[in-house]
Amino acid sequence: MAAWDLTITVEELGPEAPPLKISVTSDLHIGGVILKVVEKTQLKKDWSDHALWWEQKQQWLLKPSWTLDKCGIHADARLCLTPQHKPLRLGLPNGTTILLRACFSSPVFRTVMGICKLLNIRHPEELSLLWPVEAKKKKKDKGVEEEVYDITCAPLPSATMLKLSSGMPAFFAESPESEAVYKTLSVSQPAPAPETIAKMYRSTTIVEKAQVNGRWLDSSRSLLKQGIKENDKVLLRFKYFTFHDITPQIDVVRLTQLYEQARWAILLEEIECTEEEMMVFAALQYHIGKVSLTEQFVASCPAMDDLDSALQCLEVKMDRESSADDMLQTMTAPELHDYLKIFRPKRLTLKGYKQFWFTFKDTTLSYYKSKEESCKEPIQQMNLKGCEVAPDVSVAGQKFCIRLLIPGPEGMNEVYLRCEQEQQYSQWMAACRLASKGKTLVDSSFSSEVQSIQSFLAMQKTTPSNKTAQTDDSINTHSLVSPRYQKKYKPKQLSPRILEAYQNVAQLSLTDAIQRFLQIWQALPDFGLSYIVVRFKGCRKDEVLGIANNRLIRIDLGVGDVVKTWRYNTMRQWNVNWDIKQVAIEFDGNINIAFSCVTADCKIVHEYIGGYIFMSTRSRDQSDTLNEELFHKLTGGHEAL
Amino acid sequence: MDDIDAMFSDMLQEMDLLTQSLGEESETLPKPPSIPVTQEMNVSFGFADCNVLSLNDLEDNDLDALMADLVADISATEEKFATEKENSKEPTHFAPPPVQPQSNFYLPTSTDAPRPATSSTSISAPPPPPPTAKPSKEDLEEQIKADKIKLALEKLKEAKVKKLVVKVEITDGGSKTLMVDERQTVREVIDNLFEKTHCDCKVDWSVCETNPDLQTERGFEDHENLVEPLSTWQRDSENKVIFQEKNDKYEVFRNPQVFYLWKKDKKSLKDMKEKDKEQLLEENFCGPSVIVPDLEGVLYLKEDGKKSWKQRYFLLRASGLYYSPKGKTKASRDLVCLVQFDNVNVYYCKEYKIKYKAPTDHCFILKHPQIQKESQYIKYLCCDDEWSMTLWVTGIRVAKYGKQLYDNYKAAVRKAAGSATWTTTIQGSPSISSASTPSPTPKAKAANGHVSQPPMEIKDSGNQTAFPPPPASMENLPPPPPDPVSLPPPPPALPTTTKGNKFPPPPQFTQSSFPPPPMDDLPPPPPPPEDIELPPNFLPPPPPSFVSCGGSLPPPPPDPLSYLPPPPLQNFASVGGGPPPPPPPPAPASSAANHPTGSIRKVAPPPPKRTTAQLSTPSDGNLMSELMLAMQKKRSQQ
Repeated sequence: MAAWDLTITVEELGPEAPPLKISVTSDLHIGGVILKVVEKTQLKKDWSDHALWWEQKQQWLLKPSWTLDKCGIHADARLCLTPQHKPLRLGLPNGTTILLRACFSSPVFRTVMGICKLLNIRHPEELSLLWPVEAKKKKKDKGVEEEVYDITCAPLPSATMLKLSSGMPAFFAESPESEAVYKTLSVSQPAPAPETIAKMYRSTTIVEKAQVNGRWLDSSRSLLKQGIKENDKVLLRFKYFTFHDITPQIDVVRLTQLYEQARWAILLEEIECTEEEMMVFAALQYHIGKVSLTEQFVASCPAMDDLDSALQCLEVKMDRESSADDMLQTMTAPELHDYLKIFRPKRLTLKGYKQFWFTFKDTTLSYYKSKEESCKEPIQQMNLKGCEVAPDVSVAGQKFCIRLLIPGPEGMNEVYLRCEQEQQYSQWMAACRLASKGKTLVDSSFSSEVQSIQSFLAMQKTTPSNKTAQTDDSINTHSLVSPRYQKKYKPKQLSPRILEAYQNVAQLSLTDAIQRFLQIWQALPDFGLSYIVVRFKGCRKDEVLGIANNRLIRIDLGVGDVVKTWRYNTMRQWNVNWDIKQVAIEFDGNINIAFSCVTADCKIVHEYIGGYIFMSTRSRDQSDTLNEELFHKLTGGHEAL
Repeated sequence: MDDIDAMFSDMLQEMDLLTQSLGEESETLPKPPSIPVTQEMNVSFGFADCNVLSLNDLEDNDLDALMADLVADISATEEKFATEKENSKEPTHFAPPPVQPQSNFYLPTSTDAPRPATSSTSISAPPPPPPTAKPSKEDLEEQIKADKIKLALEKLKEAKVKKLVVKVEITDGGSKTLMVDERQTVREVIDNLFEKTHCDCKVDWSVCETNPDLQTERGFEDHENLVEPLSTWQRDSENKVIFQEKNDKYEVFRNPQVFYLWKKDKKSLKDMKEKDKEQLLEENFCGPSVIVPDLEGVLYLKEDGKKSWKQRYFLLRASGLYYSPKGKTKASRDLVCLVQFDNVNVYYCKEYKIKYKAPTDHCFILKHPQIQKESQYIKYLCCDDEWSMTLWVTGIRVAKYGKQLYDNYKAAVRKAAGSATWTTTIQGSPSISSASTPSPTPKAKAANGHVSQPPMEIKDSGNQTAFPPPPASMENLPPPPPDPVSLPPPPPALPTTTKGNKFPPPPQFTQSSFPPPPMDDLPPPPPPPEDIELPPNFLPPPPPSFVSCGGSLPPPPPDPLSYLPPPPLQNFASVGGGPPPPPPPPAPASSAANHPTGSIRKVAPPPPKRTTAQLSTPSDGNLMSELMLAMQKKRSQQ
């Protein structure tokens, strides 16, 4: 049994203080060492969170009953007594940064569990941490410090479930400041200025996208071991694109952050979409931004049944003993009527707009020579059900036209209606929109439809020059689309297209809108693919491996074409040769592939595949219990053994 | 034939008059109840506008089927007004005429109760004197008010319901004619056709439309409504509705791998394990969003307004059909959208090689359903082979309908399985009847909210005043005259049926059946003796299929016991569990579900038609007997 002096640094004594020397024997256990050190410091405080960190070996000594001998610690070891939970700057999917205390000693998987519990995000196994992109710091920007929401005062999450008060974890409700923090977590952020988007780092090529995936932290090792220091910044992101059991009522933060991640992925062109899809995303963003200002995140309750409401309305009427005529009146649809101009483009004729007296009733548009003749047979009637409606508007030019494509047996009939001013236009436009969906003016959505058309008209008025006016009413449409479309279209061209897409989503509740956004995102062909540049065994050039929740795909780097797809359900086994850093996978039918990883460590690939296998083992009826052991078994690699 | 036509129009006219006169009679009523006039008008519009077939084209058996429908309509109308009138009166007025205490009481209670079924049970057993039920006069008055309102709303809705008489061609060369209600889904129509044709109820059966002008064919999806697309057909349209098995209808769910793993070699796909197929379905149809098969490849696109076909590289996405322009990559950003699927349907085409000089005959088009002729707004596409055409068309359907398609499939499978074991069919217990309904028509009626009520029942109720209440309600059951062969003459059967153990002693049953219509001021129309004799003589040759399939199906005639219950039950089932208010029960509930927004408000009822047309009530009875006599005459002439 040997005895020697052990050098131990204690952070609490300050950086200048010399390390403490305590005499130990080789059979002293770790707990004993800590006790001795604490005695020597003569500091009175709660030391329960502290543990010993072995610097040379980059290793925590977390088993108090192990002797120094068993740990292999000799006289030359320099140990450090330090808290296991340290402040960490966490970049959230929505772009904000919060400062919180995270566990630096447990595997990252468990650290993420702790963080998610604190932030009230269920299913932490779907998220992980990654290194931020090294920002190329321009010297000018140095002074600008990003805003950090500090919640280090929050109690460390215990094993028990978090208490909720008014829908959020209890400690968030303690002060107005922390409540504000919770709001940034659970409410989607306002649209950023288009310039900000344009300035942000974008991964344009597939190789750049692959490089992002090289920055994931190792789930089976601790933060400190991976070189993350106190107050460092890491990003929290959804890593596995298989979102288990989303329940809007309890997944407020989770859903919001997921939406933010999806939104930024689209704005920054991390995932590609077509122009048509971009317009729908833009419309949804606009809508979500608008409703988050007013609406609380609540489960959407189905609108009261029309019959019920009509009944009630009738009952009120009856109570007042009004006549049946009145009752009928309430059932009668209102009408629009006014003088408008109409133009029907025909081949080889260039007739201008002609004025007529128009009436809009139910879903039918009729016109007469004059108001006086409106009791007679109309010149023409057009049922707008199923028609296409497009705006043809220029606020500056005071042109308010509605382009209608009305289906008929012979094809589509093109009709232009010209209104005199905004108010008139928005009413008739709204009526046309509703009619095209088979709804009438009585529909409850009519007034909101009118409003949204007006707000879009207002958007056209604000010239893009006054960037500062980033108020709620005048969102710059450019901030709703990715830089590619910012360049391609002027706001004037963009807003009618977004408005068009907006018609179909304007009635959604906040939750429904977010879910619709996520649905369309998940329906994109490239959704859920994480790329890694690899070199297949026996090949001379780099290729890309795409990892999704159900398959692996091999992509030709030059053309970008999918060369081969392997599904997990045909996978027999996969192995990693840690020495030569090669991943080997065997599929049904004696198909064997092997590759080395270029842009990421093979541990990351291993963890991705194992992680997705793990995700697929979760069952619907299973409660929130997380099989941590299984996760590490599937993803841990040699260190888990 | 001509007198048949004339008779139909007569009948419709009479219906109108009848309804009007009824509206006239009930002075106490608020206006709405008189609105149903428009409903019946609408029915007649249905005929007038009906471009699907003209009455002249009808076969005899079609006529019979239609007769059944119409008869049911008429009697339903009578019912409606009978109940309306009672409803409009103070219940106390009812006390005196003890002949129909049940029906008198019927309305007030059943409407207020959230579950009328239960309340009406108690009624049907011992008809309690109305006053006992009313706690206070005010309550009752309020009650009645509420009932009126409800009734009014139902009328308003019902008034708007459009019906079409559709002739459906069947692959074996025959055809069936049925009345389709605006609110009926294609699934319901198919079920109806199953009953009429007694075919195996396989999932592949589908109702298709063909357009000879465009040489297209398209299978309606099960969740679609049939009336809407058909009513946009032109008057002179030669389009047809066909009932046939289409293998590609649900192939994507039987063999998802051929659509989702189409890139793999066909051999390995052939013997895919069921487990793996299920997993594919799970992955693609059960996630938060439906995944569309990642189809891509070269198709020929007919250029706008030109005769030439150009090759383009197409890609299918959930958001639409795209192609990559020449010289560009397949990357999303470069794709050009050819069409999005919100407003178009996809149609198979025939023989476009000749018609449009297409490179192959494997073409499909995308067009707005209302377009019926060649147009620049149609997108014409051509595939190399039939297989890729099926891939694309199915892929587009998945993109357009999403999860709905899968739900349709599951419902179809359930139906097929149900019919195989001859037990239950669609969700819920009462639906049994829908599989076993003996009469060729009640399904449509049930959905319309009309219980089949043959004319003779009116007489029956007259005859059977001696019977306790149950029989009275029973009388609603005997299917309409069209197939009297299948049923023993109602009156004798009745006593046994009531006690028959198979007869569910059901609250619903009584509930959905109408109170006997005869009123003091509206005497039972058809003179009893005439009626009794009529049915047997009347003997219209029942629809051929009906006879021929008697063997394959548990034939209606042999055991009326088991068959009697269905119609009302089914009727009830169609309500979908909603609280069915009295006489036209299913209508409001189901339409409320189907048309959550439109109907009520759209209604804008035409000014109540309180015309002077006064119809002497007996004429109603004469109408029916006249009709039958006419039919009889016609047969004897043949």
